[in-house]
Amino acid sequence: MATATSELDLAQTSAVYQEEVYSNQPRKLSLDMQIETPENVILTYQLAGPAQRYLAYLIDLIIRMVVMIGLLMFVMPMMSLVLPGTALGLFLVLMFLNTWGYYTISEGFFKGQSIGKHFCGIRVIREGGYPITFWPAVLRNLVRSADAIMFYGIGITSMLLTRRFQRLGDLAAGTVVIQERSLKLPRKPVILDKIKPLDKNEIGSFLPRDEVLSLIDEFIGRRHVLTYERGHALAGILAQNLADRLHYSGDPKKVTHYPMAFLAAVYKTFSFSQAEEEQDVVSEYLKQSGFGEFHDE
Amino acid sequence: MMNKHKFIQQRRPQWKRFEEFLYGTSRKSLSKLEAEQITEFSRLLREVSHDLATIRSRGWGHDLISYLNDLVARGHNLFYGAPPSNLSVFYRYVSLEFPRLFRANIGYFLTACLLFFLPLGISWYVVQNNPSLASRVIPEEIMSRFDTMYSDHGESDPDNASEEGSESEPEGRSSFGDERATMAGFYINNNVGIALKCFALGILLGIGTVYTLLFNGIFLGAVSGYVISQGHGERFLSFVISHGSFELTAIAVAGGAGLMLGNALIHPGQRTRFQSLQVRGLEAVQIAGGAAVMLVVAALIEAFWSPSDVSPMLKYSVGSVLWLIVFLYLAFAGLQSDETGETAAQPGPSEKPGELPSA
Repeated sequence: MATATSELDLAQTSAVYQEEVYSNQPRKLSLDMQIETPENVILTYQLAGPAQRYLAYLIDLIIRMVVMIGLLMFVMPMMSLVLPGTALGLFLVLMFLNTWGYYTISEGFFKGQSIGKHFCGIRVIREGGYPITFWPAVLRNLVRSADAIMFYGIGITSMLLTRRFQRLGDLAAGTVVIQERSLKLPRKPVILDKIKPLDKNEIGSFLPRDEVLSLIDEFIGRRHVLTYERGHALAGILAQNLADRLHYSGDPKKVTHYPMAFLAAVYKTFSFSQAEEEQDVVSEYLKQSGFGEFHDE
Repeated sequence: MMNKHKFIQQRRPQWKRFEEFLYGTSRKSLSKLEAEQITEFSRLLREVSHDLATIRSRGWGHDLISYLNDLVARGHNLFYGAPPSNLSVFYRYVSLEFPRLFRANIGYFLTACLLFFLPLGISWYVVQNNPSLASRVIPEEIMSRFDTMYSDHGESDPDNASEEGSESEPEGRSSFGDERATMAGFYINNNVGIALKCFALGILLGIGTVYTLLFNGIFLGAVSGYVISQGHGERFLSFVISHGSFELTAIAVAGGAGLMLGNALIHPGQRTRFQSLQVRGLEAVQIAGGAAVMLVVAALIEAFWSPSDVSPMLKYSVGSVLWLIVFLYLAFAGLQSDETGETAAQPGPSEKPGELPSA
């Protein structure tokens, strides 16, 4: 078991795998946030970093400026012909709403996304994973004026000092800003029809764990994002390891020169026949050790 | 024992169905769906959650985990969304929740009153007796504005003290009512903005709030003292008495809410500082919201009633009634229908709202 984990570790460090929820290693600095839902499932959210949030802020800022300038340029002269004072008063009220209400209204009523956040694919949610409601949205965006001191220096400092990248407004309202990736089901991995499974005579009795098989599956599925050399090198590490573990007695060139193909062969060997094999092995063992008769007594 | 591919093949239709729900309802809230659809959605949410747990425990691949994780996260966000609100919620807030929260935290308000009205009174008294001191507090151009303002017409408002202290008043010169609309916009923009800032700066351990309260108190007091010492007392007092009721009280209310934020950080009690800030913060912001509503009322009074040409006596009596209304509102609104005493509209951080959004 431990040996299989060490393989996994090797592959993980080389392929920059995130640690899983259930590992007992100390937490690394990462953008992950974990919460437990009422369904007792642990969800992982990706927090949005300061750079993403700054970009969203810039987009929002440009939108707000453009709207206000547009009002000033086109709407005001038209209104001023009729009721100059009322037009000016209305403009001032709109300016107030633009300053204090833009974020509150957009985040409070549009599921935690202002226009800029929407473009950047980030969203405000409450710390428990619940959607943001009206009052927290008001609070986090009123405190914005404190965060904005020194060109958001206070907000950024607070973000860097908190584990979940929260500015003061987030801390007060109990909110976090998360990234939303686009949903995509992982592609079906490589077509394995052309791959021949390993010959049973060339390998020992070792069974790779599910994690290792999944790792191979995903690695092969993603192989086109790596350069050939890099993919080859990475696959070589795992292939060599597995070959040792399996006491592979076939052609060693298959392992060193075509590690990808070797991995695919390993995958094919164990992932499809595994369940039946296990069953066979167990029943075989039971027969040999005379458990069959034992049960009959 | 099931292998990964069989599992994916078997569960995929349900995942796709769940995705359709997410995209279909991403524009609107869940409460617009039919009952059986909601049932199906909640069933799917549990199923997909279970699939996620299964895949995690079997270690079936990072991609698959992150896909299902995002699926469940979005579903969770949708499922536990708050039902949409409407105007009746606003009415309930103004008539019940705000005054109750205000009374529950009256100590902060009284502290803010001390920080605001005491400097106001002192600086008023001092400046009225030594008008030459006014120039130390009030910028030169504003002083000269007051002198001209009260010598020809009393339309403008002497007490819109802004933190910059030099807000120039907009020029609107057509009809009288029209010009007042401009002023209404100006007061809303200026005064509500100052009050909200006064509240928000409370998060800096209350320092920002204390500073704003002291500054505005001293400034307003100096202005009042100076204008009265120049012999415009009748005109000035009859002008400010009406909207002063809402405006001055609301500044102290917003200041009190800001002090709540600061105090939550300084004296967290049994909680951690962050927890304390969250719990007190949600109450504080609801109090600050009430102050904002009061300031909008004050701005309308200040723009449309205070500068009108009725006799000062009438203004004094109306102003006194308004002061009484403010007092009665804050002291007694929502008192009789106090069923629970617990008005927090938000579930606390420890609670988990586990109910279906009402369809």
